[in-house]
Amino acid sequence: MSTTANPKWIPEFVGDVESTPSSGTYTITDEIQLSDTESQMVLNMGPQHPSTHGVLRVILRLDGEVIIDCDPVIGYLHRGVEKLGESHRYAQVIPWTDRTDYVAAPMNNLGCAMAFEKLAGLESPERAQYWRVIFSELARIASHLVWLGTHALDIGALSMSLYCFRERELILDIFEAYCGARLTTNIMEIGGFSRPIPDFLPDQIREFLKIFPDRQKEYVDLLTANPIWIARTKDIGIISPQAAIDYCLTGACLRGSGVNYDIRKAMPYLVYDRLDFEVPLGTRGDVYDRYLVRMEEMRQAIRIITQCLDAVEPMDTELMAYESAYVIPPHKGTMTTAEDMQRHFIWVIKGFSPPVGEAYFAVEHPKGENGYYVVSDGTSVPYRFRIRSPDFVNLGVLPYVAEGAMLADVVALIGTIDIVLGSVDR
Amino acid sequence: MSDGTSIQEFETGYSEPEDIWARTEYFHQDAERHPAVREVRAAFGPAVVTVVRYGDETTIHVEPETLRDVCNFLRTHEQLAFVALSDVTAVDMLKLRTTPRFDVVALLYSIKNRVRLRIKAGVNDGQSVPSLVPLWAGANWLEREVFDMFGIIFEGHPNLKRILLADDWDEGFPLRKDYPLRGWKEFPSYNTERMVPRTRTRWTGRGV
Repeated sequence: MSTTANPKWIPEFVGDVESTPSSGTYTITDEIQLSDTESQMVLNMGPQHPSTHGVLRVILRLDGEVIIDCDPVIGYLHRGVEKLGESHRYAQVIPWTDRTDYVAAPMNNLGCAMAFEKLAGLESPERAQYWRVIFSELARIASHLVWLGTHALDIGALSMSLYCFRERELILDIFEAYCGARLTTNIMEIGGFSRPIPDFLPDQIREFLKIFPDRQKEYVDLLTANPIWIARTKDIGIISPQAAIDYCLTGACLRGSGVNYDIRKAMPYLVYDRLDFEVPLGTRGDVYDRYLVRMEEMRQAIRIITQCLDAVEPMDTELMAYESAYVIPPHKGTMTTAEDMQRHFIWVIKGFSPPVGEAYFAVEHPKGENGYYVVSDGTSVPYRFRIRSPDFVNLGVLPYVAEGAMLADVVALIGTIDIVLGSVDR
Repeated sequence: MSDGTSIQEFETGYSEPEDIWARTEYFHQDAERHPAVREVRAAFGPAVVTVVRYGDETTIHVEPETLRDVCNFLRTHEQLAFVALSDVTAVDMLKLRTTPRFDVVALLYSIKNRVRLRIKAGVNDGQSVPSLVPLWAGANWLEREVFDMFGIIFEGHPNLKRILLADDWDEGFPLRKDYPLRGWKEFPSYNTERMVPRTRTRWTGRGV
């Protein structure tokens, strides 16, 4: 029979009808030979696919099971946070950043608040800096737990998600005990913390620190030497160090490839230069290495929190920078003194105006470099408010790593980049 | 590490860069003493419009045609080694000055020297700027976002189309300063009259 290309997608029956046996079953005498272009198939994955971690849509061109081309389509969760930030006063912008990466909201608040502080030339007091580190490292563990649970769930280890979300609950309880909110915390404010730290909070955190390392050993026992896990992750999605820099990757995606760039070490902010911790680096740059890097980051976060708690517990100093035009006056002062009441009134009604200038401040987010670029024109709203979200940039590497991979690996590749679509689309 | 993994070496020592310039020069209040500024001025004399210093951040304003060349120069320079691109964005300067209207901002980072540098190129509406995708593949999505939000054309970009907004978005570019916060169109409220009317059903107790 003919071997020419068939123009239709579903090939017509080309068997020899004449030789059809009388039993009624057809036998296809000749194999259908399709041309190169016809053996390809376009598959739409998402935006409502459970393993795309939200509303990511990926259009895949397949040859059999091998991916030839991949085109991520994003923007289904775009809310225009940057435009909203340019129409709100400085202190009102910080709650919007909760809604970008909602699994590590304190880190978003931290970057935004510190960008404003840098613009205004303000520094938070030492005790507040320690507490900021504690909350942001707790957020790092919470974010990595969500990543680990969903990543393992995508690959097939269902029970991991149950364990990880169980431990994440403890961290959310700590956030709730401090500020009342669990996800959209708005925990960092310009100048420090305006709410006092409750007395029981250090003990609650210490209890978590006692529980968590053993629980993390359970994850390690489940996954690290698991043959199925290794088969699904090792030598999958390899990113070379040069490619990682070319694709502007940051965070564990970059360090999994062996490039040593951690903002906490490279350009230390807060009190990170006083703390003793290490930055794990990968060697091969595959999915398994990025898993190991993130697991080690959780252990280092525990170390950091322990050191910070030891340092901060004896302190009894202010949590908020005071005598500054940029911070909210203390609640007690607004109730008792006229000056603070007037300052509070102005701060709430009119906001404050930092000097004309611009500032970029980046924090080491669980997902990478989370930068905030603020341009001030001297009014009380930012002239330009830019969020450099890490996973938006990291997701751009997906076409590169997916090319030549198998279809079943796409969920592993999406999982290893660690995306939250609220942060990708902003 | 408690798990038997291949990651055993931790490189934590960030060595101080051994440059011909002292590291303090990078943070000197006089922006002209910044090593990158001196090198760029020497290589691209008239293309450098101005140099601005705010806080500990240095910004070099360059002519838009030379943006890619300046970035490539800084990227391949041995001692400066601004190998990483942190961010590409833009600022609409409509309310602050008359011309040029936009500032295209490229934020470079030197992993070796641990400093950031901001390169700005002023472009007018309709004017194009050379794309950075040949230097950094990661600039692809960042430039698409700038095009999506500001309408700035990047020459040489392989796939310049909208990324966050819908492909058929016809309302212009939202992050421009003349774009209202709620958009140009008045979106109708959810029209309940056009919905399929709910059929009144009554449970009869007989199965159907």
